[in-house]
Amino acid sequence: MKLGVVTGVVWASKKVKELDGCRMYILQPVSVDGNKTDPPLVAADPKNIASGGDTVVYVTSTDAAQAFDSGFAPVNASIVALVDEIS
Amino acid sequence: MFLARVVNKVTSSEKHCAYNGKIVYVVQPVLPDGTAEGSEWIAIDYVGAGIGDIVVCGGAPGVAKSVFNLDMAPIRTLIMAIVDKVDYRDI
Repeated sequence: MKLGVVTGVVWASKKVKELDGCRMYILQPVSVDGNKTDPPLVAADPKNIASGGDTVVYVTSTDAAQAFDSGFAPVNASIVALVDEIS
Repeated sequence: MFLARVVNKVTSSEKHCAYNGKIVYVVQPVLPDGTAEGSEWIAIDYVGAGIGDIVVCGGAPGVAKSVFNLDMAPIRTLIMAIVDKVDYRDI
């Protein structure tokens, strides 16, 4: 899992049915002090945790599909937590 | 998952049976502002994308096996959404 900042939203009317009703955000992976670490990626937000500008925790690879209630979606990045504070 | 632009189509007569009947595209990953970034990927179309579309690609290991409900599916990258609009603000 990594830290990321929500820097954008992807609007797509035509998509796989598992992603219906699920928002897709553009995440900029960051380090604890806010510096960019990797190129931006697209992450699903099945639990409606995030909104623009938030710092979040996201999970990648097969575990990303576990964030969906159905336990299955053809995704490899999902937002799983909203960061309130890093101390 | 990553944003990409569909650039070419790949047609092949000799292939693994999991690829039968599937449309195979060459996609160029792009940054949210549209500039190309990184090397091209080969992706299986799943939502009816066309050449020139901006799409969302990706997929975790073993996902294609359940998406296409095949017993064996050596497929990793799927095109799973056709992007209508991207709102983006760099930080």
